[in-house]
Amino acid sequence: MSIIQRNNVSVSGRGEKAIVFSHGFGCDQNMWRFVAPEFEEDFRTVLFDHVGAGRSDLGAYDANKYGSLQGYAEDVVEVGQALELENAVFVGHSVSAMIGALASLKAPEMFATLVLVGPSPRYIDDIGYHGGFSQTDIDELLASLADNHMGWSMAMAPAIMGNPDRPELGEELADSFCRTDPAIAKAFARVTFTSDNRTDLPYVTAKTLILQCRDDIIASEVVGEYVRDHISGSRLVVLDATGHCPNLSAPREVVAAIKDFV
Amino acid sequence: MDHPADFRDLFDNAPCGYLILDNRGRIMLVNETLRSWLQLGDEDLLGKRLLDLLPVAGRVFYETHFAPLLRMQGYFHEVALDLVGKDRVRIPVLANASQRVDPDGKVEETRLALFQAKSRRKYERELFDANLAGEKAREEVESLNVALTETGLLRDEFIAILGHDLRNPLASIGAGMRLLAKEELTSKGRQVTDLIEGSVARMSRLIDDVLDFTRGRMGGGLNVDRRKEDELHLHLEQVASELITATDRQVDVDIYLPKPLFVDAGRIGQLVSNLLGNALSHGAEDTPVEFSAQMDGASLVISVSNGGDPIPSEVVERLFQPFFRGGHAAGRHEQGLGLGLHIACEIAKAHGGTLTVSSSIERTTFEFRMPANEA
Repeated sequence: MSIIQRNNVSVSGRGEKAIVFSHGFGCDQNMWRFVAPEFEEDFRTVLFDHVGAGRSDLGAYDANKYGSLQGYAEDVVEVGQALELENAVFVGHSVSAMIGALASLKAPEMFATLVLVGPSPRYIDDIGYHGGFSQTDIDELLASLADNHMGWSMAMAPAIMGNPDRPELGEELADSFCRTDPAIAKAFARVTFTSDNRTDLPYVTAKTLILQCRDDIIASEVVGEYVRDHISGSRLVVLDATGHCPNLSAPREVVAAIKDFV
Repeated sequence: MDHPADFRDLFDNAPCGYLILDNRGRIMLVNETLRSWLQLGDEDLLGKRLLDLLPVAGRVFYETHFAPLLRMQGYFHEVALDLVGKDRVRIPVLANASQRVDPDGKVEETRLALFQAKSRRKYERELFDANLAGEKAREEVESLNVALTETGLLRDEFIAILGHDLRNPLASIGAGMRLLAKEELTSKGRQVTDLIEGSVARMSRLIDDVLDFTRGRMGGGLNVDRRKEDELHLHLEQVASELITATDRQVDVDIYLPKPLFVDAGRIGQLVSNLLGNALSHGAEDTPVEFSAQMDGASLVISVSNGGDPIPSEVVERLFQPFFRGGHAAGRHEQGLGLGLHIACEIAKAHGGTLTVSSSIERTTFEFRMPANEA
């Protein structure tokens, strides 16, 4: 299976320069459906699913490799190599922000620009660091995933089918959401919420934009400021949007902020 | 229900909880049903986010899964949530949500209907636990199986090595005895060397049996080298006479094999030796043992029979299993390991043949039969 199939990569757009959109924990490339099309005029747009999510090749899932964010970053670089990307923009949401940072360290010439949407280098509080979660919170989250996923797979599946107002979302969405394998989702949650990439930040040389939402319980403004302070030359833009997913709740604002930067 | 007050009452006292969020996700309206479940008042709830009513884990899950879904398709159904009420009491609910959007697609309101799901959640958890327990039990059985197989293999390997290593000192004892037998000995001394030589021969057979058995078990299979054999009859006569000279019992031998056969003569000899040895030690002493080897059409048929008590049917079933020993041998010290018939059976199989037993009050007969047209 090729890298393109493995990561369900789709490329469109008419530009020279490439812009890669990378989804976070809990969703797939659908996360960018209101954002990515806005860049097709000026960029070659690249969307993909991390292995284990969406329509990626679940058979390629290797618990060992994906037991750390490095495994995901390797995939990003491989996708970049397959598409011969150079000097591209990487837009990473949530945990993908750090995956992008790691990928830019592995291949600095591939990703010269990073847009980090709701990034967090560490979710668990530490001495002198406010991540927003206690160890107990995260333990409870990981333990409760089983419950939620059962509710998800058994009860949600029929409900997502078909949307009379937006028929284009219906089956495609159901397909990818329903494919979230509970074991993989749990492993991804563990990798995400126990990650600590604080020491990697100072090495990032890419031109970096941080998009921070208000009222984001997963990556708070303090965390956004921490990232800004530790990636030299980075710019922090606080959006009006609230919550953790401005790419869905305030796509126009996100698009404008990215266009302004790249 | 045409009076607005009725609708207001339906909202407040509906058999489900209602929650309305404004365009920034803040609670705008809560009904009485939900307030009573939570044991909280408007003053505790209005202006809060839905997330504030969820435990931390639930918040993360909501933000990463359900909020995106709601944004993308404008509603969700049957989402499992835990609400946190007064004194941190958790209320499991199932939630449906829908959004009201303005013509530009901007969200104006989010409406949620909540249903208590205590029993359902308990049931789901029991199902999940049962699943987990089942999975765990399966893994345990699997690892036990692996351990058993490993132990078995280790045992077989151990026996193979031990048997092999016992051969050398035994050969030295045999050689020593043969040297000693050439010396001038008293009749008592002669008796002792004869006894020891007999014991060496018996022990050597035991070791051969054990090695054959472990080789068969360790995947190599019994070592059988079949070739065109003109003199199987001579070989079988020799095997029989060796056994007969060591006993004072009557053995009737009837061998007629005029044509060459495609067999391992050594192995067929071993089979005969095992069957004859068996008949001599288990059969009645006052009736003769009969041994015949002939052709029956295109088949080679070797049979050994003896008189005496019939073999009980429950014993017959286990007769060819390794390490099985019948109850009434002449003396315990005469018994082998219980491998003789098992190995005879393996030799029969390796020749594409069968070894069967029939037992009645008159006689007990073991019969080896193999297709002989290959030679």
